[in-house]
Amino acid sequence: MPYEALDFYDVDSLLTEEERMVRDMVRDFVDQDVIPNIEHACREGVFPDEWRVTLGEMGVLGAPLEGYGCPGLSYTAYGVICRELERGDSGLRSFASVQGSLAMYPIWDFGSEEQKQNYLPKMASGEWIGCFGLTEPDYGSNPGDMITKAEDMGDHYLLNGAKMWITNGTIAQLAVVWAKLDGVIRGFIVEKDDPGFSAPEMKGKHSLKASVTSELVFQDCKIPKDRILPGVKGLRGPFSCLNNARYGISWGAVGAAQACFDSAKEYSLSRIQFTHPIASYQLVQNKLAWMLREITKAQLLAYHLGQKKDAGTWIPEHISLAKMNNVDIALEIAREARDIHGANGILDEYCIMRHMANLESVKTYEGTHDIHNLIIGRHITGIQSFTREL
Amino acid sequence: MTIAVLLKQVPDTTAKITVSNGRVDENAVSKWSFSPYDEYALEAALQLKESMGGELVAITAGPARCEKLLRDAAAVGADNLVHISAENINDFDSTQMQKLLAAAVEKSGSSVVFCGKQAADTNSGSTGPGVAELIGASCITMVSEVISDSGGYLATRPSSSGHEKVAVSAPCVFAFDKGVVEMRRPNVRGIMMAKKKPIETWSIEELGLDLGTSGISIDSHSPPAEKPPGQKFEGADSVSTVVGKLRDEANVI
Repeated sequence: MPYEALDFYDVDSLLTEEERMVRDMVRDFVDQDVIPNIEHACREGVFPDEWRVTLGEMGVLGAPLEGYGCPGLSYTAYGVICRELERGDSGLRSFASVQGSLAMYPIWDFGSEEQKQNYLPKMASGEWIGCFGLTEPDYGSNPGDMITKAEDMGDHYLLNGAKMWITNGTIAQLAVVWAKLDGVIRGFIVEKDDPGFSAPEMKGKHSLKASVTSELVFQDCKIPKDRILPGVKGLRGPFSCLNNARYGISWGAVGAAQACFDSAKEYSLSRIQFTHPIASYQLVQNKLAWMLREITKAQLLAYHLGQKKDAGTWIPEHISLAKMNNVDIALEIAREARDIHGANGILDEYCIMRHMANLESVKTYEGTHDIHNLIIGRHITGIQSFTREL
Repeated sequence: MTIAVLLKQVPDTTAKITVSNGRVDENAVSKWSFSPYDEYALEAALQLKESMGGELVAITAGPARCEKLLRDAAAVGADNLVHISAENINDFDSTQMQKLLAAAVEKSGSSVVFCGKQAADTNSGSTGPGVAELIGASCITMVSEVISDSGGYLATRPSSSGHEKVAVSAPCVFAFDKGVVEMRRPNVRGIMMAKKKPIETWSIEELGLDLGTSGISIDSHSPPAEKPPGQKFEGADSVSTVVGKLRDEANVI
């Protein structure tokens, strides 16, 4: 059966014609190129390089950025792209999120004119892959206390420290690295061949297996002075990037949930137990109805947030709510879908278990589920509860 | 040189077709797409244009929903878009459709025409040859590939012993079968340019046509007959019966 995207309220009718054309293009790529190859990629633990090439050819990388060879689409279109990619696999969407929102965006927003002209066109085309170094082994939810530091050596900067859980790290030509210069967080562009820089791959993941995850290690890493991002100081830099990536995830999670729903619906209609399709039993229908309910709500959250992003009327808390809710329900839908698939649900013949395992990462990265609750809690009460050091 | 591609919007192969009051209910069609043979024609026309230059005009006839088809064609590289506005397209017979499309081809100034060998909904297969006749052009059907060749064109089509290559010069019409090319995927740049591209809308009156009345009338549509229910056999005793049916009725062993 061809994939049928659940859209109970016909939310996609609210998209512009251009946004729908972009959706169809990416959906076709996922159908033709991703779905037939994703399980193999997961088993091998690789991100297929052909996908990088095709993403570049389609012109979806850095979707909402304008100029310097970037697509210049709406944020809504960027969301739709994320949704369609993550219907294929969260690892694929992660690649696009990191490239566009975490690596291209800071150069686009905070970079010098020379940096933009030098890096953005080849990142938009997919020729260069970027990664984003913020999280450290001991500083995840609390990046402000990062240890990685930069020293001004007169004619160059010297970076020392380590980053962890970095998507695309080993395959990237460029890393946007956040480090403290005289105690202030600044962004630096580190290139693959800079002396003292290495990016060993982290192996053994049970999740996001078709995505490359790495450490970034800086041992007296020497970088030219013109590689600092001049336009931003402090945590606002990395958080601006994360806002965009988290926004994309709120759409992406809908795609993963739609894939699980579609598979669960088809399976329940064809699986016969006690002489009838299991879809005819009330317990299964209850599960399917709950999935539809949550996906529909998540779609409306994502769409409305997209409109707010495009209108510039959003606040970070809006993004926290959508990221947190949509990933949460997608993960629960994946689990329920696995339940409907019975034992078959654990096989890679079905997408369920892969999406479920992926979503465990998605729930944690880009601001954990709990941290997003705390962001909303602070918004409601005016009291931050991240730390006791008030 | 201008190449025309004739495109028809048909219900997507995945769309559920419902018949009510003896007619296919178009409002119930959830998704409309290119007729697949037209996609092969469009891709081959794009490749020909890329190899020798010129302009490609995409032409479709039908109600307003058909404009989507033209935008999709523009997104992959069609230069000009022509919509022959006709709400009652299903009331036309094949001869009237040929007149309509032939007039549009002539108005567009095209000397080479690409189309599908038949539409995926009506399957009449008459458009290519009919248009060719009306504009006084050569027609090659069941084409899988076209290349430019010493001022003319070389079309590949099946023959009784394999494939034949047929040389032809403009004006000519190529009616496409499934071949070696799949229609390309668009990219964001193409989609954004397609948005800005104007669609020329021509009415039947503007084309100066008197289509007359349809020579045929459709009595009714009906869905395909439902498949008869399968037969179920259980136990080892039924083996000889099943083998007999597979051999004598199904002719598969």
